[in-house]
Amino acid sequence: MTNKPRVSAWQHYRILLGKDLRREFRTREMLTSMGIYTLLVLVIFGTALVQAAEKVDILQMSGGLFWALIVFTSLLGLNRSFAYEKEDGALEGVLLVPLDRSVIFLSKLTANLLFLLVIEVIAIPLFFVFFLSGLPLQPTLPLALGPLLVGTIGIAGIGTLLATITINTRGKDVLLALLFVPLIFPLLYACVSATTLAICASPALYDIYPAAMALAIGYDVVMILVSWLLYDFVVSA
Amino acid sequence: MSEQATIVATDLTKVFGARRALDRVGFELPAGAFLSIFGPNGAGKTTLLRILSTLARPTSGNAQVLGFDLKEKPGDLRAHIGLISHKPLLYLDLSAEENLLLAARLYGVADPYERVGELLATVELTARRHDVVRTFSRGMTQRLAIARALVHDPQLVFLDEPYSGLDPRAVQIFDELLHKVRQKSQDGKPRSFCMVSHDMDKGLALATHLLILERGKVVLFARKEDVNPGEFARLYLNSVGMGVA
Repeated sequence: MTNKPRVSAWQHYRILLGKDLRREFRTREMLTSMGIYTLLVLVIFGTALVQAAEKVDILQMSGGLFWALIVFTSLLGLNRSFAYEKEDGALEGVLLVPLDRSVIFLSKLTANLLFLLVIEVIAIPLFFVFFLSGLPLQPTLPLALGPLLVGTIGIAGIGTLLATITINTRGKDVLLALLFVPLIFPLLYACVSATTLAICASPALYDIYPAAMALAIGYDVVMILVSWLLYDFVVSA
Repeated sequence: MSEQATIVATDLTKVFGARRALDRVGFELPAGAFLSIFGPNGAGKTTLLRILSTLARPTSGNAQVLGFDLKEKPGDLRAHIGLISHKPLLYLDLSAEENLLLAARLYGVADPYERVGELLATVELTARRHDVVRTFSRGMTQRLAIARALVHDPQLVFLDEPYSGLDPRAVQIFDELLHKVRQKSQDGKPRSFCMVSHDMDKGLALATHLLILERGKVVLFARKEDVNPGEFARLYLNSVGMGVA
């Protein structure tokens, strides 16, 4: 049997990523639902906090609020990112192709990351309008971008693996949340700490922020590496 | 393994929990053959097809498919096989052309645009090439699924109940297409087929070889010409629980 010309892993990655982006820009299914969900959560949080504004320090809570928003929204997006892959066996069609299956993971991770970043670009200004308008902005605020980026990468990475694991299960929405939240807890803890410190310009910033970032980056590297290595087994099971 | 064999399956076994979906399945299919696989629901037909097409792994046993070891070289084998399933394996929100181009690029087809145009003409979907698949009828979707499965000119095509849900006109078009693609592939090598079907008449008409599975075991594997039609019908009806006591 003669071997047909092989397509490189990089080409497969670009083709699969292009497919996800093309489909999303055509349907806007994930971005629309995640965007509306973000707005809803912001309104609900905002309404609750306006009534308690006299008693709570919103600045101290802002990191937690923001990450709660991101985690809820990403759960919705991650579920949808694989729903259409299962529809009419499209993923099986890709699995029949002679490619390194970890490339499917990397392309899907990138697509999910890009969609989450788009939502964050919309959510961050709204978050400031809802919760931080009128409050003094600290010079350390740009440091919040660090945990934001590292946390989003981690959520997209581990979420992509878990969404693949739960794709063929009944009650996949619930199962994804059940697996996702405990598994990303170390990342979430580090990112909430680092974000809050940066927003508040806390005196502990320069002590705790580097440690929190190191934990978040370490988590990303280990979990994405493990997910990448496990993906062939997971997607073939 | 004989030089011409397309599939040499040896003791293929698949266990799901306590259930043995396939139990030491073995057979040898020559090149250019059309194998029709029959059996009742739950006999293991689709499991066998999924294993041979590298979508599932056997619990034990192995197979050589087109000369590639199923366990050792599944990636190499994938370049030479196609699957037409009752599921179309297509992205419904992409157009017919985009779906075929996606598959052609993933397989590394030399001139994807030319190949896609040729296949769209073959399945009579050129006029709908820019329409998203979600707007297609079941018959049109199935025709596109055939084109997708053939985009890389596979040597071996697996068909999993391809007639499922097709109206009579779509069945006729499908038959004509199957007849066209049964001719040799682009590089002149004989193309082989492996079809799971509940339609005994259709399966018999197309087949060169017959296989009946019952509870994961091979009840019959033979060349069609070596099988007495009456004996085959009796075995088949017994396997699906419709035999005369």
